[in-house]
Amino acid sequence: MNESQSGPRGRSVSSGDDADRAVLALVTAGQLDALQELYDRYRVMAYSIAFRITTDTSLAEDVVQDAFLGVWRNASRYEDGRGSVKTWVLSIVHHRAVDAVRRRRPTTELPEREDVPPAALTLPDVWQEVSGNLDRAEIATALATLSDVQREAIELAYWGGLTQQEIAERTGAPLGTVKSRVRLGLLALRRALGGDDGPVEGLAGDVPS
Amino acid sequence: MTEPTMTCDQARDLAAGYVLGALDRSEEAAVRAHLATCDQPHPEFAELGSVVPALLELDESELVEPPAALRDRIMAAAAADLAARGGQTSTGQAEAAPSAERTIAFPDAADRAGRAERRAATRASRFDWALRIAAVVAIVAVGAWGLNLQGQLERARAFDQAVAAVVQAAGQPGAKTVILSQQQGQHGSGIAAVAADGSIVLAMQDLQATTGSQVYTAWVIVGSNAPVSIGDFDVDAGGARGFTGKPTPAPAGATVAVTLEANPGNTAPKGPIVSAGVATAPPGSNG
Repeated sequence: MNESQSGPRGRSVSSGDDADRAVLALVTAGQLDALQELYDRYRVMAYSIAFRITTDTSLAEDVVQDAFLGVWRNASRYEDGRGSVKTWVLSIVHHRAVDAVRRRRPTTELPEREDVPPAALTLPDVWQEVSGNLDRAEIATALATLSDVQREAIELAYWGGLTQQEIAERTGAPLGTVKSRVRLGLLALRRALGGDDGPVEGLAGDVPS
Repeated sequence: MTEPTMTCDQARDLAAGYVLGALDRSEEAAVRAHLATCDQPHPEFAELGSVVPALLELDESELVEPPAALRDRIMAAAAADLAARGGQTSTGQAEAAPSAERTIAFPDAADRAGRAERRAATRASRFDWALRIAAVVAIVAVGAWGLNLQGQLERARAFDQAVAAVVQAAGQPGAKTVILSQQQGQHGSGIAAVAADGSIVLAMQDLQATTGSQVYTAWVIVGSNAPVSIGDFDVDAGGARGFTGKPTPAPAGATVAVTLEANPGNTAPKGPIVSAGVATAPPGSNG
């Protein structure tokens, strides 16, 4: 076990991102050691995210493997200035994990693809985070500012892997209501985390409050 | 692609679901296609998406260490993938070079002149130095991983300190990175960053210790120009060494090479190349 890494509890700090970018540049150049370094930096977060979504250790392992192979093959597609390397890597893990649980669900829209080899990795878009240095306690406080239905909608979407349509079916709320809850929940989170709290054009304005 | 499949209003309506990954994948692809082709600004995606990294921060109680074997699986799969790609590096140049090319000699003046003539004579065989080195870099990358698998992690740790300086330099705007791979029959590999001011920070490992007046000399080669020395350094038994060379223009595609020389201060390389690589601009940069 490499003691020099930040450890299982390690969180990225903003100064780590320059280092991440340099490591990713080496991954792009086909350097295996760099991939291992990146894995060691984020394996705990990656695996924990995959496990939280799949609730299955072996599926979570497959997801993390898929995701890091995706990073390995697509490192050149990381766009500087569109979010940190950490967010990019973890978003790929998240996306793969959601694919995995949806594939597993009997009611999924893709059941017939079960035996088809996984398609080329779709890379989720990532954005610059609202705050450079996210603190877990601050995030918990921010989440607490959401209404219960907003929090539930975001939870089902992000960690349950449900589509907005599926959330509507699950909760008995109309699709439009689910969309509003998700959107207003994200805006409230953004406000609570200190992002610009001005209304987003074309977003907040057309939503009943 | 030419036919928009979704209106701006539809895309806006799906923005929150999109950033959360809460669309079905066909809807998601339609949004992505819209964003890729739409000439209208869609700030709502960045605004809503800026919250998502916060959601990824799990509580400490939710953090789980993955099984140790997972790392080996991933690295083995990546190594297999690299081998399947034929060791092609992102420079995209390796594939143009013959894979049998395993050793490299510095071109002397006559060789350079001869090559210039050959280039003029037959464009098809045009072939420069950086290309040859790129081929070797690619070949060696797989082997270097094998060594690590056998557990040479301790040395890697000492090397880390030198790497930290490289990483620091590589993180600066305009910096380029170089992976130096050991040449056939030699020992020594490493990474380097070329800072915007041209200074070159090297981190080398697995070098054989220098004895007597021996030094390692680092060189920059641009195209088929004569190599330019950026300085000498010695190495102790640990084999790792950090080194900052004097500023020298090294655009993307330039080669950084380390030779073992019998004495310091050479202005042209006399000893063997132990390690070399090509300067590459980081992804996302304009360079």
